[in-house]
Amino acid sequence: MSKFTIALAGNPNAGKSTIFNALTGLRQHTGNWPGKTVDRKVGTAHWNGYQLAFVDLPGTYSLTAYSPDEIVARDFLVDEHPDAVICVVDATNLERNLYLVIQLLELGVPVALALNMSDQARAKGLTIDTAKLSQRLGDIPVVPTTASRGEGLDQLLAATVDFIKASETPSCECGCQKAQPFQIQYADEVEASLTALSADLSTISTTHQAAINGYSPRWLALKLLEGERDIVQRLEATPETKPLAQAASATSAKLANHFGDDVDIITADYRYSAVSDIARQVTQAATARQLSLSDRLDRFLTNRLLGLPIFMTVMYLIFRLVIDVSAPFLDWVDAVINGPIATALSQLLTLLRAPAWLDSLVIDGIVAGVGGILTFVPGLVVLFFFLALLEDSGYMARAAFVMDRFMQLIGLHGKSVIPLMLGFGCAVPAIYATRTISSRRDRLLTALLIPFMSCSARLPVYVVFALAFFGAHASTVIWLMYVAGVIFAVLVGFVFSRTVLRPEEDAAFVLELPPYRMPTLRSLLLHTWENTRGFIKNAGTVILAVSIVLWFLLNLPAGVSSQQDSYYGRLSQAISPALAPAGFDGWETSGALITGFIAKELVVSTLAQVYTGVDAVEATAADPLSQQLGDAIIGFGEAGLDAGRTLLSLLPGLNLTEDTSPEDTSLSQALRQHFSPLSALAFLVFVLLYIPCMATIGAIKQEFGARWATASAVYQTAFAWLIAVLVYQGGLWLALA
Amino acid sequence: MTLSVNMTTLELPLSRLRPGQQATVLRVGGRGPARRRFMEMGFVRGETVKVERLAPLGDPIEYCIKGYHISLRRRDADEILVSPLPTGCYE
Repeated sequence: MSKFTIALAGNPNAGKSTIFNALTGLRQHTGNWPGKTVDRKVGTAHWNGYQLAFVDLPGTYSLTAYSPDEIVARDFLVDEHPDAVICVVDATNLERNLYLVIQLLELGVPVALALNMSDQARAKGLTIDTAKLSQRLGDIPVVPTTASRGEGLDQLLAATVDFIKASETPSCECGCQKAQPFQIQYADEVEASLTALSADLSTISTTHQAAINGYSPRWLALKLLEGERDIVQRLEATPETKPLAQAASATSAKLANHFGDDVDIITADYRYSAVSDIARQVTQAATARQLSLSDRLDRFLTNRLLGLPIFMTVMYLIFRLVIDVSAPFLDWVDAVINGPIATALSQLLTLLRAPAWLDSLVIDGIVAGVGGILTFVPGLVVLFFFLALLEDSGYMARAAFVMDRFMQLIGLHGKSVIPLMLGFGCAVPAIYATRTISSRRDRLLTALLIPFMSCSARLPVYVVFALAFFGAHASTVIWLMYVAGVIFAVLVGFVFSRTVLRPEEDAAFVLELPPYRMPTLRSLLLHTWENTRGFIKNAGTVILAVSIVLWFLLNLPAGVSSQQDSYYGRLSQAISPALAPAGFDGWETSGALITGFIAKELVVSTLAQVYTGVDAVEATAADPLSQQLGDAIIGFGEAGLDAGRTLLSLLPGLNLTEDTSPEDTSLSQALRQHFSPLSALAFLVFVLLYIPCMATIGAIKQEFGARWATASAVYQTAFAWLIAVLVYQGGLWLALA
Repeated sequence: MTLSVNMTTLELPLSRLRPGQQATVLRVGGRGPARRRFMEMGFVRGETVKVERLAPLGDPIEYCIKGYHISLRRRDADEILVSPLPTGCYE
């Protein structure tokens, strides 16, 4: 069976991932490009007896190697010699899309064109002469597709495979000629320099393959004249090729002088005029162009007055959906894990005569850890679904447009606003939401600021402390905590973007606003599945590991009876002196902060447990397994009903869910014995700012590597300590003064 | 509309146009990579660009060029020199 590797290239928003998903379905896996943090997606398909491997290159407008995405795409094409490159082109926007096609052809790779969104082009009254387009591009395959409906994909594969086979057979001797490869005719002066330079380059390429491996001499000469840093550096690296690079730069300067502009601008101009010519020759547009539905939607959605309120409403709805609709399922997952599953495992272990400590490790360590992972899943599924919906429909770009001015304050751009707002719900999905940002620096800075947004797990801590200490002013204090988080984010963002995370050189913020499109359910579900699986696999391992470590801390040394004597208690005692300057130095508080690393809401339940002896989690293990299984099934139905009810109550005027506000007076009393209002405030500030929970750390590690995960943990804890001490000592000083 | 006769020969930064106005691109300035990026996105000499709308906070600005929509920050649109076209000839 023949095996072919086919790369998918294309502009962002051209429908590349839709084609990739349609071709490969679930037979795909995501990794990283070697040495890069750009996602590398590979998928396979069997087609007519061929085994096809598809590599999804990052979506780019160009191949000039100014961004990691472009370098990754270009290096793959040159170093790994795919059998063909399918360039996905948006037929409604042919001219700009062809710019990339031309660059691919100049690079000398075998290109087949998928003229995607053909249905929309037709609806717009555009007719594209595919035969003529193919001929003008050097007889490459051009196939109209509508990937969202799966149309034309079979023809696309057929044409691509034929194309590969035709290029494999050597050109025949019987007089028939292969098509002339596509080439752009630049200005005479540029062409003359290109010829001279490529002659020099071809003599050298045999002896110093490494520097210029795989590139054609003409292409290299072009890039040298354009002064492309990446290529110039490669040639300057060896003494033999260095004079060539220097000669090229001298020629480039001379040409720039002659034209009165940089060579790369001149060549881009030529490329675009070639593209415009081709686009004009192959396209016929119906005369009357009406205001499209997309334009009319934008008059409303990005309106100067309505744009911001609409964005806020959309965010609020997603927020509510993630929290409220997933909450019933979350409870259900929790109940199933701690109910039937824990009981069954426990019974199994009893059958196997396992020692009690093993039972405890499995149930309290491993099952609890797995439960910790799974409780995130319902919320994440909902979130990933809606994020994909926002992205695929085109609204994400509008949100970035509307909020960009605001985000400039902290050295970021509009695309960071959605992850940051999601941070008020839960930092974990928020960190995954940074994936919609293309620049790594922007993604990283956004992810580092997300933990400052008070997530929903911190709210119970705020509520319990605020009610215990600030009575009538409780809601003000809670509100202040949220505001303080935003202010700290702005401050830290301001400092980071001027120190460790300066904006990249290409700081121009260019954002395409693609037409609104109806997303396909298939693509939404695929995105949701892929992201959820990634979370379970990657962040899940961190959560599980920490849960097991915590179990050992709580249960060692062997036979320990009270929490205070366990390693956990000893660790808490060891930490507490460091927290004394902030006003809270009991081992109980530092212990609560340690469990807060598992999940922030545990701060409250730990304090409740040690101060009042009441366990916040009630056990359900008493019921027999069969009954628990039944309950689980009924529970799932109830969770679905609850979710539906919550969905309905999002409609104005409907309220089917009752509000519950728990009060814990015995805990309040206990807290007042151990904290003063001032130290309580310092404690709240510390909880707001200190180390993100382990799931967040896991997510940061998955997205940015262990180094940044550690950095985030360390700097936030140090920052939290500093601010909490300032609050406490400042408060003491004010009280004395 | 008070459009003077010599409006067609006037050079203006793109950021100075009002929503609804159209113009021809004369020159793209700016730092190397940013400048290159503008050109790749279609801001080449002679191209017609239309101002669609301002974002709610006045920045960035949405333009239509080569039949698609793009948003540029005011600071970046300052770097693109255009010559305004008389309004009212399209749409």
